[in-house]
Amino acid sequence: MLQTEQEYIRILRSRLEGTLPDDELNDIISDYTEHFRIGKADGRTEEDLFSSLGSPEDVAREIRATHLVRKAEGDRSWKNIIHAVLATLGLGLFNLVFVLVPFVILVVLLFVVFFAGIACAVFGPVAGIFAVLQMAGLPAFAIWQSPAAGIFFSLGITTLGLLLVIGDYYLARFFYHIGIRYLKWNIGVITGTEQIP
Amino acid sequence: MTESGERQQQPACIHACLKIGGISAARIVLWLAAITIVSFVIGFGILALSGGFPPGPDESLSLFRHSAFYTPNTTEVPLDGAVAGDIALTLGAGELRVRGGAPDAVLIGTTVFSRAPEWQPELVQSINNSRKSVEITEKGHKGKEWFAVDSPNSWTVLVNEKVPVRLEVNVGAGDSTLDLRKITLESLTVNNGAGDTTVELGNYPDRRFDATIRNGVGDLTLRVPPESNTRIHAETGLGDITSNGFVQDGDSFVTAGFNPSLAFNEITLNQGVGSIILETL
Repeated sequence: MLQTEQEYIRILRSRLEGTLPDDELNDIISDYTEHFRIGKADGRTEEDLFSSLGSPEDVAREIRATHLVRKAEGDRSWKNIIHAVLATLGLGLFNLVFVLVPFVILVVLLFVVFFAGIACAVFGPVAGIFAVLQMAGLPAFAIWQSPAAGIFFSLGITTLGLLLVIGDYYLARFFYHIGIRYLKWNIGVITGTEQIP
Repeated sequence: MTESGERQQQPACIHACLKIGGISAARIVLWLAAITIVSFVIGFGILALSGGFPPGPDESLSLFRHSAFYTPNTTEVPLDGAVAGDIALTLGAGELRVRGGAPDAVLIGTTVFSRAPEWQPELVQSINNSRKSVEITEKGHKGKEWFAVDSPNSWTVLVNEKVPVRLEVNVGAGDSTLDLRKITLESLTVNNGAGDTTVELGNYPDRRFDATIRNGVGDLTLRVPPESNTRIHAETGLGDITSNGFVQDGDSFVTAGFNPSLAFNEITLNQGVGSIILETL
């Protein structure tokens, strides 16, 4: 049970330290201090203000998630998006379904496409060598229905693999962009702000 | 374009104008896509010219050799002076075709379209009192063939038409087509786990002939000559029985003019799930 405004601010600061830069953290603490000051000037009690703001732990979780999503948006990296997803999970257990599951599915999809591309890019040249050996009359390496066709198929499989790898890169960028928007929307719905400015 | 205009376009160009070795990513992707398409078109073109594309009715489309079709394993079991035979065929999974047409000195000729060597069946033969016994059994396969995933497992068995034989057929899963019209059958036993079974029998007017056909899941079609003296007991767990040219006699189906005092064909059909079709042809 919170006793004072100072205790509220102390908990809020301790929960956000290490996540937010000092200047941004100080701004947020100043905002909340100001909110308490104005509230008290209007005759509201500390209990009333605590009740309207929510617990400092919940407030810290929302601020942390918002900050990490914005950070992931500004600086695209696996590390940042994973931090953003984990912070969003902390906003509610239901986000295991609405955030974690789609995230895992997309990551698996990207890995599948990537490894399929690598497999094709590696298999293509190897199969091309087999086609050449088959044309040379080595029956032990006769894997193609037609070795001449096999050379072209090998080339096609190789370039298809490279296309898959490159396509996977752009697919990852697309999912990243969509994922950030979804996380923002998710946080907005949970906090009741609908969208993060 | 002015310098300020170029500067304004730079942010939008960061991703689209990604360059590798001085060539933009878009050009690389387009080149790769073009090479891929042209390569496959030429490949299929060569395949079509060499007769590999489109695939035949019994083949699946594959760029790779179906080693099974390229290396059929044909085995002939000689009669060795025998005047009768016992034949047992056991196929785990695949397609089985049995018909007459083996050479005179041969009891059966078997062509196995299967992956060598682990898919090749085991052959056991013996002779006892002028009766030759042959067992052909697929022992199962464990290996993985990487380049012909859909390679078939298919047997074609030709049986001597003049030598009387007792035939037993066991198929785990797959379709069986037994054209036995020209074969001199003494008895027939068919067990098929899952798949369609078609059996065509001949006329055996001078002796009694017994046949038992069990089919687990799938359709079972039995054809007999209309002039044959045949009685069929048919049971099906789940499915219809359709008869054409038969007279229903209680739980049995008999050919027109059936006379139990004469030698007749007694056939028992046991079907789990699927239709039974009885025809006189």
